[in-house]
Formats: sequence, structure tokens, C-alpha cells
Amino acid sequence: MLQTLIQRKKRQDHRANQKISKNRHDLYADELERLIVGRKPESTADIIPEGEIVLTINVYYPITSERISTSRPHMSLLMTGSHSLAELRDAICCVSDLQVCGEFSNTPDLAPDFISKDLFKSSFFFFEGVFYNDMRFPECQDISKTTIEWAKARNYPAYTQAKMEDTRFVDLTIKVGFPYLYCHQGDCEHLVIITDIRLTHKSDCLDKKLYPLLIRKDRLLTQKCTVCHLFIGRWFTTNDQYAPSDPCLFCDKCFRALHYDTAGNKLGEFLAYPYVDQGAFN
Amino acid sequence: MDFCRKEVKSDCEQLLSRFQRTGSVRFEIFSRLWREMKFSHIFYGTAGHQKRAFSHLILDTARSFFLPPFSFQIRVGGLYLLYSLYQCQTAEPKEQIRLALKDWEDVKKFEKNAVDAQHHDTVYILQQLMLLKAFYFTAMPSQLVFKKKKKMEKSVLCEEFIERASRPQELITIDLLEELSNINELYEKLKTSVASSEQAVSSINLVRTDMVPQLRSTVVDFYKWQQKKEVTVEDEDSGEGTSSQQECSERAERLADIKSRAYGQAAEASKSRRHRQVEVDFTSNEAGPSHSSSYTRIYKRSLKARTMENVHISGDKWKDVTSSSYIPRLTTLDFIPEEKPKKCKKFKW
Repeated sequence: MLQTLIQRKKRQDHRANQKISKNRHDLYADELERLIVGRKPESTADIIPEGEIVLTINVYYPITSERISTSRPHMSLLMTGSHSLAELRDAICCVSDLQVCGEFSNTPDLAPDFISKDLFKSSFFFFEGVFYNDMRFPECQDISKTTIEWAKARNYPAYTQAKMEDTRFVDLTIKVGFPYLYCHQGDCEHLVIITDIRLTHKSDCLDKKLYPLLIRKDRLLTQKCTVCHLFIGRWFTTNDQYAPSDPCLFCDKCFRALHYDTAGNKLGEFLAYPYVDQGAFN
Repeated sequence: MDFCRKEVKSDCEQLLSRFQRTGSVRFEIFSRLWREMKFSHIFYGTAGHQKRAFSHLILDTARSFFLPPFSFQIRVGGLYLLYSLYQCQTAEPKEQIRLALKDWEDVKKFEKNAVDAQHHDTVYILQQLMLLKAFYFTAMPSQLVFKKKKKMEKSVLCEEFIERASRPQELITIDLLEELSNINELYEKLKTSVASSEQAVSSINLVRTDMVPQLRSTVVDFYKWQQKKEVTVEDEDSGEGTSSQQECSERAERLADIKSRAYGQAAEASKSRRHRQVEVDFTSNEAGPSHSSSYTRIYKRSLKARTMENVHISGDKWKDVTSSSYIPRLTTLDFIPEEKPKKCKKFKW
């Protein structure tokens, strides 16, 4: 009798006894897999050429978030060798990109105009001692300059710079399995690990347009409104006389219903900030 | 999926050790064993995306048997195992076999060995796998992730499967020994021609004169010892007596042998036939090499453990010392009910 089967049966019986409901990560993983495997492009111009390499990249949670863990990546992407780093940067979804800075209790309708992604476009990748900066837009600044100068002042080995949009993956020299860095918004840093490099295969998804391809995404629990427990919280209030706790989370409808009258005038004293839930990309 | 790695490995080892005992490399024998063990059932019971993860795990495990340092027979068994698992897997579309760039050369050498030895079924299976495009050509054998564990479990290779070490014999060949003795002679001549007087000759004698015969004898002894070890492993009951050790005469004999160039090399059969018994026909002493002292790390017990052992503190005081103090509990009622620590059921693997 095979030992693997004995163990598997034991495990399944145990789970049946415990009545654990199906893991939500598994549910979504199954669905993603069905969508990805074996997709062919409509036009042959988009097909990935033979001999192209495919990289599996794991992006982890930002260092500042409480959910940082090295065992479970936030998302896993597949990229081909001829894609540029800028395309990878566009594919990484981080909630800090959607954050809106500023207090908006007086002007709640103006909030969506100030997304951080549009304001602070600078970012960089750090691979093997080279900083790859995003210079596509005029607002982008070279945020790696400070680090390079600091390192020079302290006799560290010299770091160099390059442009993110000009570097393709085939041009990089990397160590597989080694942790690298992706930094955006100035201080939101993500761990990036390239776990696998291989040649393309006929069963891979061969449509160039679909890359970067998401193969795994961690789904996070969303925080719901304190009032209705139905909608995802979008407003964050402090010093609020109407709120049961300080700070407090509200969905858009409940927030407006509680804090503003029908004419749109502010009632009472409070400070309101737009809130982006960590599960915004689910 | 890592929880079943050990079990999968032991199942594969069981199948391969049975295959090793049959002493053959034929696919029919392997498939008979496979059907006896009902090995294809290993895939049953997985659901959803676990199918793919499990296929990946088991193909990874089987692939390790296909690569060096295992013996040829085990590698053939590994190849057959890979093929059978690839065909029987339940994941749809099929999960591929990962082959690292550095292993590709070994695979090619293996194929060449099989072709030379005319193991046609082995070559057929390998080429069938290539035809099915079952391989992923990767940079690294497995997907690498940054792990923070302090103790990495070392993968233990099954001892019996490992190829018999044959590097000494391959390296020290007859040609090499001849060349060495030639160079040695030339060197001696040079030395004597340079030396002005008799006394100077002895003082510049830095090289061992009998280096070449001793090198050859060591290699031959090693080979003989390997043979003896294999024989004694197979039949444990019969204690074979060692032949008598007549070292001096043996050495003289060996010197004469080299000079006359009429000695036999330890004949290593090609790797593809080595799983059968190899015959060697020459007589030299059977002095086995001295047992190499294996370096084992002495693990010192932790300071805490040693303190607990050495220092004896009586009764209540010890209890107070070992249990952690609860600050809110410093002033409480006399009666405190025993609190059982909450036990959550953990699955025993």
C-alpha cells in the first residue's frame, strides 16, 4: 500500500471531521488556472517566438504592511524575456498606488482627482547593484540618487543607474531566487524574487498581449463599513462626534448620509480621509 | 504540498529498490512491478489545483533519480518512472518535467551509454518523452524561493542506489602510469647529470623513487576493496577469509610488472553493464584501505539543558523559577482553579 495514499486519506478524513470550509485562496487559484492554461492568440503576429524565455516573478507585500511574509507572495507573474521592466512595473498592483492624500471633509466630491499613482510616478527596481528608474513621464524623478550618493559617501561598492523602460529582461544579469527590490511612492518597498527561468513550451499561453500574466494572486479580506457591514469602507474619519469609534470606517453612502445633509453641507465637526481597502484588487 | 514529499520519496524508492533487485533494465520488468504495486493510484484523491501541484512534486522527486550520482540501473529506473508518471498523471493539460541546463549534458551522456550498450527500450522511452515535449528546459532544477528557515533539510540520497565510485580507476590508467614512470626516469637522469659528486646526489633526492608502482598498487587495492565490499554485502553469511599479505614480494613483483609492461588493469566494465557482476583476473593482496575516520560534529547540549542537569534546586523554588510570573496575579485570592492550556487539534502527519 502506497504511503502517500495512506497519508492523503488520513488528511482528508481529518478535514472532513473538522468541517473546515474551502480555503478562499484555493478557490481563486483554481479559477485563475482555468483561465490561463493553454491560451493561443487570435493573430499569429502576437505569438511568442520559439526560444523565448519565460520568467516567473514573485512580488511580495510591501514592507510597511502588517501582512509581510516571505512564504506567501502577494502576486506571481509570468514575463517573457523581451518584455521591459516598465511593463512589469505597470502590472504590479499595490494599494498604496491608489491612496489619496489629504483631508477631504469639506470637499468630499473632489477626492478621486488626487490618486497617488498619478501624482508620484517615480519608481525603481534594484537588481544586482543597478537601480532601474522609471523615466517615462516628465513628473518622474530619480529617487535612487539619494541612495547612490549615500553609498558613495560611506565607501560601499558603487551602484549604477539605468532606465527601466529601456531594459528588457534578457539584458539583465540576475540570481534566481535572490531577493530584489521594487520601490514606488518614495517609501513603499516590495520584495521581488525571480523564482524560475525556462524556455517556452507549447502548453504555455502564447499570446504576447496577455503578458505580464498573473498566475497567482493573494486575496485579502476587505474591511466593511461599520454601519451597514455590506459595502467596502471608503471613508476614514477621526475626531468624529457621530462615529462610534475613533477612527471609524464608512462606505460612501453611509458616510454621506451621516455627515452631510441633502444639500451637501457639512454637519458637525470631523476629519475625513479617503480610504483604500487592502483588498481593492481582489 | 510539501507535507507529502517524504512519503512520495519513500514510495519511489520502494519501487526502484524492487527494480534494482531484479537486476535488469528492461521496461517490461519495470511495468510489471508498476502494475503489481498499482503505482498509478498515487494520483487518485487529489482535487482541483492540487492535481497540478502534486504532479509537479512527484515529477520532481522522480527526476532526481534520473540524474547522477545514481547507478546506471537506477537511472534507467528513474527514466521509466518519469515516463510512467508523466503518462498517468491526472492534471490536464499535463505538467511537464523540469530539466535544468546543467543536467542536459548528463542526459546526453546517459543516452549515449544506453545506445552503446544497445538498451533499445531505454533509448526509445527517452526519445518518446522528447517527442511528447515533456520537458521544460529551465535554468534551475526547481523553483527557488527565499526561505528563512534556519535548518534546511538535507535531501538524503538512498545509499544503495548510488553509483560505485570509479574515479580513481578511470584517472590512473596504464598510459598514465607509463608516462609517469618515463618522466620519473628522465628526471632521475637529469639529476644525476647535474650532480657533481656522489654526496650531492643523495642530498637532492627529494622525490620518492617508487611513486609510480605505489600509485598503481593503491588504485588496485581500492578496486579490490570495492569488489570485496560488494560481495560481502550480498552474502552476509559466508565470511570469506582474506588472503595472506606478502607485501615485500608483491611490491617487487609489481616493479617487474611495470618494467615489462605485462600487467592487467582493473577492468572496469562500461557503466551500462556494471549492474552485473564484473570479473577481475589478477592476484594481489587484499589489504583493504584503512577506515577513513568520518568527521562527526560533536553537538554540545545547550546551556539551559546543562544547567537543568547540573544544578539541583529543590521543590517549590524550582517551580517558581521555571514558571513565568504573572504580574496581575501577584495579588490574588488563595483559591485559583487549575487552568488547562487550550489544546487545538493539530494534524499528525
